[in-house]
Amino acid sequence: MLRASAAAEEAGVPSVSLTCEGFVGQAATTATGLGLPGLPVAIVPGHVDVQTVDELRANVLGVTVEGVIQGLTTPAEKASDVEEPDPGEVVFEGTFDEINRFFYENGWSDGLPIVPPTSARVEAFLRQAGRDADEELGVLLPDRRSATVRTVAINGVMAGCRPEYMPVLVALVEAMADPRYGVEHSGNTPGAETLIVVNGPIVRRLGFNYQQGALRDGFQANTSIGRFWRLYLRNVAGFLPHRTDKGTFGNTWRVVLAENEDALGRMGWTTIAQDQGLAAGESAVTISRFTGGTVLASVFGTRAEEMIPYLADGIARLVAWEVIFTVGMSVGAQRPLLVLSPILAQTLARAGLSKQDVQQRLFAHARIPARKFERYIGEWTNLAPGRPTLGDLVKRGRAAAIFAESDDPERLVPVVEKASDIMIAVSGDPLRTNAYVFAHNGILGFPTTKPVRLPAR
Amino acid sequence: MEALWVVLPTGQRASGDWIDDTLRLRAEEAGLLSRTPLAGQFPRQRVEVVRAADPAAEVSALFEARGWTDGLPIVPPTLDRVEAMCATAARAASEVLGEVEPLRGEATVEKIAANAVMAGCRPDHFPVVLAAVEAVLDPAFNMRGVQTTDENVAPLVIVSGPLAARLGINAGFGALGPGWRANAAIGRALRLVMLNLGGGWPGAVSLAGLGQPGRYTLCLAERDDSPWTPLRVELGYRPEQSTVTVLRAETVVNVTGGLAEVASVMASAASAFTMLYEGRVAVVVAPFVARRLAAEGLSKDDVRRRLHAEARVPASAWQSWWLRATARQWPGWVTEAAGTLPVVKEPGDITVVVAGADLAIPQLAYCPSWGFPPCRVTREIAAPVI
Repeated sequence: MLRASAAAEEAGVPSVSLTCEGFVGQAATTATGLGLPGLPVAIVPGHVDVQTVDELRANVLGVTVEGVIQGLTTPAEKASDVEEPDPGEVVFEGTFDEINRFFYENGWSDGLPIVPPTSARVEAFLRQAGRDADEELGVLLPDRRSATVRTVAINGVMAGCRPEYMPVLVALVEAMADPRYGVEHSGNTPGAETLIVVNGPIVRRLGFNYQQGALRDGFQANTSIGRFWRLYLRNVAGFLPHRTDKGTFGNTWRVVLAENEDALGRMGWTTIAQDQGLAAGESAVTISRFTGGTVLASVFGTRAEEMIPYLADGIARLVAWEVIFTVGMSVGAQRPLLVLSPILAQTLARAGLSKQDVQQRLFAHARIPARKFERYIGEWTNLAPGRPTLGDLVKRGRAAAIFAESDDPERLVPVVEKASDIMIAVSGDPLRTNAYVFAHNGILGFPTTKPVRLPAR
Repeated sequence: MEALWVVLPTGQRASGDWIDDTLRLRAEEAGLLSRTPLAGQFPRQRVEVVRAADPAAEVSALFEARGWTDGLPIVPPTLDRVEAMCATAARAASEVLGEVEPLRGEATVEKIAANAVMAGCRPDHFPVVLAAVEAVLDPAFNMRGVQTTDENVAPLVIVSGPLAARLGINAGFGALGPGWRANAAIGRALRLVMLNLGGGWPGAVSLAGLGQPGRYTLCLAERDDSPWTPLRVELGYRPEQSTVTVLRAETVVNVTGGLAEVASVMASAASAFTMLYEGRVAVVVAPFVARRLAAEGLSKDDVRRRLHAEARVPASAWQSWWLRATARQWPGWVTEAAGTLPVVKEPGDITVVVAGADLAIPQLAYCPSWGFPPCRVTREIAAPVI
């Protein structure tokens, strides 16, 4: 909303953003990040989702209208840059405990002890970056702060990474800064969390766990790089709970998922990075924001026909309100991820299926009744205002034709737009028949892949 | 070297800017940097670690040089003290009560607590400070006007209810004078909030020509043993509730005598701004006087009606006032009146408070008001969480 207002103001058109009461602080900080700290906001008391039409009318007429008038008639304030310490500056000297307390009290850590980012440690990281310390990797909202190789190193040290992870950390921040990913949405209320998938020779070189317990703590690369992601969102992008991060619940970082490329190679399946357009054998990171996940335990069967319905049911079951990223809000942006243990993938491959064949079959089975689909977006939520039918959305060009092949409300429709929208990774205990499925957050964290460029030896 | 971990008491806007950057510019322009040589020079973070042989003295000196005090030494707002202060409020430390005009630092519970510690509040005083801050953030208080005007107005804080005695807020001997920590510290905390979160630096932002001692603290409690209905009950609260009421007071004029004498002081040029802005004034009545009036059969309403009737300015005198000649617009009830003019529009615009020593002296005080809109803002005080 504020981003639309900012665009209008920059085009010389006065704007005002209607903002529910609980979002006023976030609006102010977001507006500043957009370079327009005085971007006008008109408050709607409470939250519109739980108000009757009469209550909403009274709130709008009693409070909001005045704000709209003021907002449209008061000139917006100019931006000023907030003075900050230089990232190379020593801001504190003390013991390990003192440094940890100092960083915590100032909101620079996540509550766990950090490794003090001393000049020597930061320099050691920078030596492994293969990039200039002051190179800008992008500018991150909401704080509109410059993301440099140096701040990557600082947060990498703090997170407990090793210096040789630097090329991965740099690639991650390049992905974070890529407009396709949409980092500015990272403080939205569903509080989805990013999953990082790593591919290529770095998986083995840096010692990522890609076998049993792939998403478990206990492996430095997987865990510390996951933690780095959140520290960077906090300290550089500027997402702080109670201010810019409005995640209703949120959760902590996800441990990095490394694909089992040994198994993929044997099966002749493509990796996630390849599916995203990178060459085979190239090291890469892929980031994507997922609202949640669940385990599909004890997948039973020897043939694809036996296994696919259960796997597809898991996908369809988990993608609920998130179908607003399939139609309506952002057509075709729902990208669920199915993680297969190697033994499951191999069973499907032995039956002659490529990854793309599996995607096609999952797409054919991961379906829900049209009536239920419409409820998710227009009845149980107001994500598609006006309660449109899927037929209406197809007519408006906000859904693919497949969603309106008949008028029967009981007809089955897919939860993604097309087969290739279902991402498949292979990882986890090689000999256990379990799978994991993640529901996706659409354009608010769209899958984004960056190659990891290793420094010349 | 000893170290103190202090919460910085200065205002940060919702946008992340610190108000000190504006204040430094204004102080430079106004040639006031000798008062605050370190204005704007501090680490831009929540907590600073101050190390010195005598860190408390160092914090006090640093804060003074940065412009974060009222001129008196302060109690260092250490993390422990600020947390203890916040703990008495049943709200989150990060909760934002509002923005303090004119520079719009965010009044978070924690920032207010840091200023309350500096002012010398005890943790159980904190709910009173919070209620007072909430009251002055009400648009009716017109914080922007109070902070920037060239007049000398200050918030007058009146506490009514059982918490006053429990917290040691003085309603008796010297209720507006020195000697009681609660009165001194609560009023001072409010001033520090106005200075440090609103940026009301004298000469740089606040153009009050002379100021007044009430700008250090102006806080008293109402006696609960008066013959009249207590203020909070008049304002619709239950007797067992406790409230803070805030008015804009230009000054406190001592009056010895009775209602006639108060009326004569009211009907003077001291009330010019009150009349100009349809102001709401306060009259503090000593218990001796209150009992005498009650014995005559006068209720508080009767007292207000009598003062409204007797405090009349002859139109001829009013026409000659300096303010009358320079101010462009006067309210209709003033300009249309003929003969004599009341000082306030309605009897209800006079707040009557019984306070002071229980001595056989006919003592009263009159607090004229400044500014618009009409202001008498009341907030309930939450019982301290102990």
